[in-house]
Amino acid sequence: MKRKKLEKCLLLEQSGELSPRQLRQLERELAASENARILRQELGRLRGSVLLPETEPFPWTVARISARLREERRPVLTATQVIKPVLALAACVMAVAGIFNFHGKQAASSPVAVVAAAGVDVWNDPLEGDLSRLERQIAAISGDSIDIMEM
Amino acid sequence: MKTTDIERTRMDQDDEKLLAAYREGDSEALGVLVDKYKRPLFGFILRFSEGREDADEIFQEVWVRAIKNMNRYRQKSLLSWLFRIAHNLMIDRVRRRKFVLSLDTSASEDGIPLSERLAGTGLGPDSETGGRELGLRIEAAAARLPLEQREVFWLRMQADLSFKEIAKIQKCSINTALARMQYAVSKLRKELAGEYRDLREAGI
Repeated sequence: MKRKKLEKCLLLEQSGELSPRQLRQLERELAASENARILRQELGRLRGSVLLPETEPFPWTVARISARLREERRPVLTATQVIKPVLALAACVMAVAGIFNFHGKQAASSPVAVVAAAGVDVWNDPLEGDLSRLERQIAAISGDSIDIMEM
Repeated sequence: MKTTDIERTRMDQDDEKLLAAYREGDSEALGVLVDKYKRPLFGFILRFSEGREDADEIFQEVWVRAIKNMNRYRQKSLLSWLFRIAHNLMIDRVRRRKFVLSLDTSASEDGIPLSERLAGTGLGPDSETGGRELGLRIEAAAARLPLEQREVFWLRMQADLSFKEIAKIQKCSINTALARMQYAVSKLRKELAGEYRDLREAGI
């Protein structure tokens, strides 16, 4: 077995990931080759010599994790959640204001509004004269007085 | 305590029960879970962060993300899932900050390279035994490995993850993870030539 392949096999042996067939193959190699045995010892010693940090998280870490998770669970309004309704509300207000404004302008510029604003009975004034004239003509033709407003 | 000493669980029933208990409002269940995996996870994060406080922040973030995304959890081993999140967080940090951990070049405020600082701190009573010197040399040599190789090395040597799990974490093939480990071992062999010679001369 080549050294690279042997080393791969030894690493997989350490991690317990060799198939039974590969394991048998490795055992044969180890029985036959001293270099293979030394390499195995080297890897074993390397692993056994690794120092493990004793440092642990701070004592309050778990409490902080819990607090953060509680915070996350709370229904927090995100920027999008806030902005969207505000924009919608603003749009509604503007639409309503626009409608009223439109009607206001329309009312202000219409003849009825002008008349109402001026307090002048522009409708009745000339029409009444016309009607009186018409009434007189009808009376002259028919000989009877007639109240044209009743027709 | 090595990870091997911890019961290497495959999302065992205990973990599931604890998670279920936490979801139902038992806040102590989270404490038990965190306590169970804190050593290997925090030790790993500490090696790739800028100190204990920084490591603690990452550690918190890992747990918050793990619990929040538990519905997306598909792996059998909770520890492996936690390492995966830690890996992703650290990759994000490296990309964001352009903080490539070149421990041999980055020095702390007092001028001591970070690799030596890390190697010299946080070691437990085990380090006072005969293997301490070799252990320190391994730490210093491993700190000079490229990030991916270093990560495979510690995930395997310290966290005791399988190459299959490491490959998942690094999003690569098992062969790639193995090759990274081989490169790491080869470089350490060169750096620790003396130790290797001793080993051969001892005729073990």
